[in-house]
Amino acid sequence: MSLHGIRTVAALELRQRARTSRWPVVLLLWFLLVAGVTSLSYAALNNASVKAGPTLYDVTTFLVLGLSMLVVPSLTATSVNGDREAGVLATLQTTLLTPADIIVGKLVSSWVIALVFLAVSSPFLLWAWVAGGIGIGQVVGSLLVLAFVLAVTCAIGLAFSTLTARTVASAVLTYLAIATLVFGTVIVFLLSFFLVQSREQVRYYGIPDSFWAAQTKNDDGSISPDSVIPTVADCRHLTREETVIHTERIWWLLPMNPFVVVADAAPGRTAPGPTAYSGVQPMRAISIGARSARAGADGRERQECDFGGGGGPAALPPLQSGPIYPYGLVFYLALGAGATWLAIRRTRTPVTRLPNGTRIA
Amino acid sequence: MRRAFGSVLAVDDISLVARPGEVTALVGPNGAGKTTLLLMLATLLVPDHGTIRIEGFDPVTQPAEVRARIGWMPDGFGTWDALTVREVLHTIGAAYRMGPAEARARTEAVLELLHLGDLADRRARVLSRGQKQRLGLARALLHDPSVLLLDEPASGLDPRSRIELRDVLRTMAADGKTVLVSSHILTELQEVADRAVIVARGRTTQDQTLDATELATTVGTWRITSLDADRLRQWLGERHVPWRAELAAVVVQVGGEEQAARLLADLVADGIRVIAFAPSHGALEAAYLAATEDRQ
Ligand SMILES: Nc1ncnc2c1ncn2[C@@H]1O[C@H](COP(=O)(O)OP(=O)(O)OP(=O)(O)O)[C@@H](O)[C@H]1O
Ligand SMILES: [Mg+2]
Repeated sequence: MSLHGIRTVAALELRQRARTSRWPVVLLLWFLLVAGVTSLSYAALNNASVKAGPTLYDVTTFLVLGLSMLVVPSLTATSVNGDREAGVLATLQTTLLTPADIIVGKLVSSWVIALVFLAVSSPFLLWAWVAGGIGIGQVVGSLLVLAFVLAVTCAIGLAFSTLTARTVASAVLTYLAIATLVFGTVIVFLLSFFLVQSREQVRYYGIPDSFWAAQTKNDDGSISPDSVIPTVADCRHLTREETVIHTERIWWLLPMNPFVVVADAAPGRTAPGPTAYSGVQPMRAISIGARSARAGADGRERQECDFGGGGGPAALPPLQSGPIYPYGLVFYLALGAGATWLAIRRTRTPVTRLPNGTRIA
Repeated sequence: MRRAFGSVLAVDDISLVARPGEVTALVGPNGAGKTTLLLMLATLLVPDHGTIRIEGFDPVTQPAEVRARIGWMPDGFGTWDALTVREVLHTIGAAYRMGPAEARARTEAVLELLHLGDLADRRARVLSRGQKQRLGLARALLHDPSVLLLDEPASGLDPRSRIELRDVLRTMAADGKTVLVSSHILTELQEVADRAVIVARGRTTQDQTLDATELATTVGTWRITSLDADRLRQWLGERHVPWRAELAAVVVQVGGEEQAARLLADLVADGIRVIAFAPSHGALEAAYLAATEDRQ
C-alpha cells in the first residue's frame, strides 16, 4: 500500500463518478430536502423564550444521518464487482497497484463523496450553532463522529461488493447489513427484554395501600372524588414487587446502532432539558435512553410523593451512565477495519477460485 | 500447466517456451484455453498444476516482479468510459508508479506509435471497436514491458492497422522483447511469428518453427490460375503431375519452393499463360488444420 497508489485509484474513481452521474442535481435535491426540514423546524420552534439551536441541530443531524444511510451504501456496494463486470478491474490488478491500493483508494473516493453530502448539509448545522444553545466545538466533534460512521458504511459496501459476483446481490446484502445495524439492533434489544427481566422488590416513597383502604368507599367500591387527598405527611418508605428489566446486560447492542453513536456524541444532550415547548430532540432522546439502558435497573428509591404544591421530593431523572459512543466508535473501527481487510483479501491476485460463472477477462 | 474451472478443464496440459527476440504465436480453436493460459501468465489465475517462469519470476509467488515486466492485453475488455484516451494512459502510467512527467512522455510516445494521436482527447466510451483495441495495446505497451502477452490483438482492426500492428510486434521482438500473441488470423501470424504453438482442447499439439527453410522444404499445395486452363490441365496430365480442379484454378502438390519455381519456369517456357501462382495454404494453416482435424 502506498500513498501514490491510493491517490491514483481515488483520483480515477472520483473522475469517473464526477463525469458519469448527475451529481449537481442529486446534491441540489439533497440540499433542498435538508433545507426544507430544517427551516420548517426552525419556524415551528423559534420563539423568544427558547433557543432553537439544540432542536435544530438534532433534527438536522438525525435527518442527515438517516438520508446518508440510504445514499452512502450505494456509493460502494457495487464498486468492485461492477468493475469486474465492466472488465476494468483486471486492468488495474495487473499493474503495480496492490489490492490494498485499489480497495483503500476506492474507500477514500467514496468517503470523499459522502463528505460532500455532509458538507452540503453543514450550513444548517452552523445555523443551529448561530441560533444558539450549543457550542461550535461540540458541533465539530459530532460531525467527526458522523463522518467516521459514514466511512465505515462505505467499507461495509465495499466488502460486500467483493463477496458476490452480481452487483444486485451485493447491493441487497449491503442494505440488509445497514438495516441490521439501524433497526436490527433496536429490535433485538427490545425483544431480549424478556431474557433479562425478573420480579424484584423495589423501594419507593409514596402513599401506602392502607391509606386508600382507610377511605370511605362508594357503593361500587370506588373512592369518592371529594374524599381526602393524600399529603406529604401520608407518604411512607415502602417496598413492593415489580418487574425489573436489567438492560445493563444487553446495553451493548445499542452502540452498534449508528444513530446511538452519533446521538450520544451529539451536543444536544448537554443542552438545557426539553420542556413541553422546546420541542423534538430526537438525538437527545436517543442518547438519554441509551445511557439509562446501560445504567440498567434503577436501584434508587422511587419518588412518588410529589403532589404539585405538596412539597414532596421530585421524581428522579433517569439514571445515566457514562458516555456510550466510545464503545460504538471501537465497534465501528473494528467493523470498518475488518470489512476493509476482507475486501483487500478478496481482490488479491492471482486467484485460485473464481466465483461460478464469472470470467476475469 | 493445467487449470480447471469446476468441471471444465480449460487448460489440460500446455507447455511452451517463448524466447526473447521472438514472436511466438498461440493458435487454436475457440475454447482451446488460450485466454486461460494468458490469464495465468498475466498473474491473474493460479494454475492447478505446473509452473510458470517469466524472466525467472513466478507469477504466483512474485506477482509484483512479474507485473513490472509484462504488458497484458486482454481479449475482451472495458475501459473507464468517462475518461479520455490520454487520461486512461496517464492513469495506467501512475498505476505503474511513473511520475507525472514520465507518464506524460510515455503516453505521447505510445499514442504516436499506435496512431492514436487524433483520438487522444476523445472519451474512451465513444471509440470504435478497432480504436478500443488499439487503446488496449497502448495500455499494454505504456510501461515499456519486456514481455508482451497479447490476446487477439488484431481482432477488429482495419487492414492498415493490422499491418502496423505487425510492424510494432516485429520491432518489439527486434528490441529483444518476448512477444506471445494469440490470434485466429493465421496468414497474418505466418508473416509476423517466428514460432507457432498450436493448442487444442487445452493441450499443446504442435510447436512449430515458421522460418523460411521449413517452408522451402515441406510439401505444400500450390494454386495455379491460367488463361489457358485446358492446355494447363492437359500439360499436367502429360507429365503425370497429380492435380485437382478448384473453381477456375488448379491445385497441385509441390515438394518445396525450389520445385515450385521450376514448375513455373517450365509452364512459362511451354507458352502457358500463368496469371497466378501461389501456395494455397500457408504452412501454419496446413499445420493448424492437421492438428485440429479431430474436431467434431
Ligand atoms: N471462468 C470460467 N468458468 C468456467 N469455464 C471457463 C471459464 N473460463 C474459461 N472457461 C472454459 O474454458 C475453456 C477455455 O476458454 P478460453 O477462454 O481459454 O478459450 P480461448 O482459447 O481463449 O478461446 P477463444 O479462441 O474463443 O478466445 C472454454 O471451454 C471455456 O468455456
Ligand atoms: Mg480467448
